[in-house]
Amino acid sequence: MRLSCLQENLARGLSIVSRAVAPRTATLPVLTHILLATDHGRLKIAATNLELGISCWVGAKVEDEGAITVPARTFTDLVALLPADRVDLELNIRTQTLRVRSGRTDANIKGIDAQEFPIIPTFQDAATARIDPTVLKKMITQVVFAAATDESRPTLTGVLTKLEGDTITMAATDGFRLSVRSDRLKEPVSEPRTILIPAKALVEVGRVMGDQEEPVAIGITPSHGQVLFHMKDVDVVAQLIDQKFPDYEPIIPKRHDTRTIVNTAEMLKACRQASIFARDSLDTVRVLVKPGEELEPGKVTVVARADETGDNQSELEATVVGNEIEIGFNVKYLIEAFSAVDTPQAAIETTQPRSPAVIRALGDDHFFHLVMPMHLPKG
Amino acid sequence: MAIQILPDDLVACIAAGEVVERPASVVKELVENAIDAGATDIRIECAEGGKRLIRVTDNGSGIPSAEAPLAFAHHATSKLARAEDLAEIRTLGFRGEALASIAAVSQVTCATRHADETSGTLLRFDGGRLIGQERIGRAPGTTMTVEHLFARMPARLKFLKSTQTERGHIDGMVTRYALAYPHIRFTLVHDGRVSFQSLGTGNLRDVLVDVYGADAAAQMVEVGAAASDVPESSIRVYGYASLPTLDHANRSKITLFVNGRPVQDAKLSYAVAQAYHTLLMAGRYPVAVIMVRVPPAEVDVNVHPAKAEVRFRDADAVFGAVQRAVRRALLEGMTPPEAPTILSKWPADHREAVAPAAGDERLPRDAQPTAATQPSLSGSEAWARVGIAKQTGALGGQTAAALPTAPATRNLPALRILGQLAESYILAEGPEGLYLIDQHAAHERVLWERLLAQHELGALPSQHLLDPAPVTLPAESVHLLEEQLDMLRDLGFEIEPFGGNTFLVRAVPALMIQDDIAAALREIVADLEMGDAALRRDLEARVLRRVCKRMAIKAGRVLSFAEMQALVRDLEACESPRTCPHGRPTMVYLGLKQIEREFGRLG
Repeated sequence: MRLSCLQENLARGLSIVSRAVAPRTATLPVLTHILLATDHGRLKIAATNLELGISCWVGAKVEDEGAITVPARTFTDLVALLPADRVDLELNIRTQTLRVRSGRTDANIKGIDAQEFPIIPTFQDAATARIDPTVLKKMITQVVFAAATDESRPTLTGVLTKLEGDTITMAATDGFRLSVRSDRLKEPVSEPRTILIPAKALVEVGRVMGDQEEPVAIGITPSHGQVLFHMKDVDVVAQLIDQKFPDYEPIIPKRHDTRTIVNTAEMLKACRQASIFARDSLDTVRVLVKPGEELEPGKVTVVARADETGDNQSELEATVVGNEIEIGFNVKYLIEAFSAVDTPQAAIETTQPRSPAVIRALGDDHFFHLVMPMHLPKG
Repeated sequence: MAIQILPDDLVACIAAGEVVERPASVVKELVENAIDAGATDIRIECAEGGKRLIRVTDNGSGIPSAEAPLAFAHHATSKLARAEDLAEIRTLGFRGEALASIAAVSQVTCATRHADETSGTLLRFDGGRLIGQERIGRAPGTTMTVEHLFARMPARLKFLKSTQTERGHIDGMVTRYALAYPHIRFTLVHDGRVSFQSLGTGNLRDVLVDVYGADAAAQMVEVGAAASDVPESSIRVYGYASLPTLDHANRSKITLFVNGRPVQDAKLSYAVAQAYHTLLMAGRYPVAVIMVRVPPAEVDVNVHPAKAEVRFRDADAVFGAVQRAVRRALLEGMTPPEAPTILSKWPADHREAVAPAAGDERLPRDAQPTAATQPSLSGSEAWARVGIAKQTGALGGQTAAALPTAPATRNLPALRILGQLAESYILAEGPEGLYLIDQHAAHERVLWERLLAQHELGALPSQHLLDPAPVTLPAESVHLLEEQLDMLRDLGFEIEPFGGNTFLVRAVPALMIQDDIAAALREIVADLEMGDAALRRDLEARVLRRVCKRMAIKAGRVLSFAEMQALVRDLEACESPRTCPHGRPTMVYLGLKQIEREFGRLG
């Protein structure tokens, strides 16, 4: 293998695949390495920890075909310190050593034979679906945060993804809240599919997508084992979670007693303020909703109290239709939910203090968030 | 009062007290009779935890009508004829005391038909006296109905526990016999509701599923499977024992049988626990059902009126046999450490290079020592040198145990974080030396005080679940949990019975939102089971301690500098920062004076 490429392209490629590199404690040493291979006149950079695989292609001038894996950390750290100039990579096949030259630098990195690197499935079959990148990015920001992060409940660390007709729906829950968004695909899928994608993988997809404008192709391997996101110059492959996602449809409230419309930014600020005080009281806050009267507008008050810290209440004007209600929440859930709302106004639909509350983005019917209240002792 | 010979019925009442202690003892005696009669289907019905009614129906041999009234006389039995027989007892009962004792303290109705006779007999007793006898038609077998237990003994009646507790005892008793006799079909009905049923397939594993649930049963391995052809003259040990993946907070899940008789023997359960030496964490115990078969002449069961204790002629041999059998089963049952699941999940070609090893990749470890952890290296080296000095005796006989814990002022001095040691301890510099803080214990203390403070104000805040989580518990724990639902509600758990052994968890304490709810609840129930019924306050404390323990950061987690700072600051704010809620120290102190001595700077 002999090729040259630009340092900034190489560094960017390495940073894209870095999240898929296995930790140093990995049982399989080659998983802590990065694959470098020539591929149709470009340099392919790939890493995998067997749960997630990322491949990235960067422009290069290829003189000799070939492939090698090199320790991710050594190579990445070295490339980061090279001058922003041409980098020459040359493989000595006999010693499996990669020679890296740039400017006055001349380094040799010992690698492992590329044959030992796991094969990352590539995008061969026709895409199952294609989606606009901004649409996908928005889905990821509005849904993925609600997934569970602890490994004790593997099912809930996944994001349910339904492809049906020309609609894609993503849903995630950690058992206490649920976030759902549906949107349009570029064209209808041939048959409906439902898969459970690890939330972590979707976060990576959102991260590496960058500002690309071409549609993202989504592929599911024939065995239903993996999902593949094909972007411009980058492929992300993730192992699907083979479990049954809880059926959330019956949980969604069919009606509500109170509908409160608030300014999203104001509400978010009130929650953030309250969270400073809620830190020492297990993140609990009370939200008081009061309908307006003849001359007075309706209002929402967010109250936090901690014996040691003190207390805080922020009030904001709101349009309230329905009954007065006082309801407890984990303030972190509220902050994350209102951060996901990207319209200027948000609607909160409640029935009673022990029933789920629904948060919607006003004017965007595709997003829907449900959060379970907390039961707070009186006082 | 003059000395006098007591009237017969009073004597009977006093004697009955030895055998019949509570409703569960009646169930035990009646079930044993049914088993001795060769029954294959035993149905136990209770009302109000057995206080109002206990009815045991079997399809055994029945009692011939001529002998029926005699069965209720003192020292009357069909199971023993000569004194020599006592040395070789093969039946569960033999004392001839049970029916007489039960009849003495309750109203008993006995309907029975011997298999060889064409009609049955119905006998009615009240306070030990026969008050009615008639012929009836019925299927072969016996139905014993015991009503108004202890109605004539107000003292005993007063000491009976709540209906729930008595039910729990009966459940425990019946499930133990179901385990010992897998070929008998047991049905237990409480207040008209079937609460436990074994199928009587003869397969012990089926009963394990009925008693402990499919999940737990799948984690148990067969003990003594290979040794089924042992001659009757030697000791045979068989049954099921849990793999180290399934454990329990106390020994109560080690169920022992000697010759089909459930026994409580501290030494034998110790032998079972001992077989798990180094496999289970200290303070954790296995779940096991162990049957010991010894020649009847080798064991004396006539030690205890309720026969809960036995004496072995060669106790050490039995002890050794149990320990060896369990250990062997475990070592065979435990598969070698599996390759991490993520490797086996990946269907793409990953070649032979996949090496099975026990490394846990999920453990978050920083790829490189951060600036924050760097100083800890020098710290730990210094510490290691101190350790070596001690080992080589350069320290003038001072042992590691003599390390003083931190000075005994209530509040901590201002501490400066140096770094983390072994991903478990925070190293901090104080005004007079080095403090080593156990991160798990420290966090437990912080959470504990925070929860207590909240609890003082009233109930703890709880987070509702989107979808209530069903949790299945072992049959005998069900009543315990049912009794404590109110207490748990105050602590933030909203749990309701969902039929059978299943409960629905609707809300959990706000602190536990990152946890596996089912596992947490099982541990909490195990904590509640430990020891005697304590005061509500103690039980609350046990639950809260468990919550703190589960939610505290674990040893082995790399902490960032900011996290360590926050933890130490929180610890400084604690009322008693020096111990964790379980009483272990949160910190160890190494004074500058001592360090100087060890370096030979100070005499």
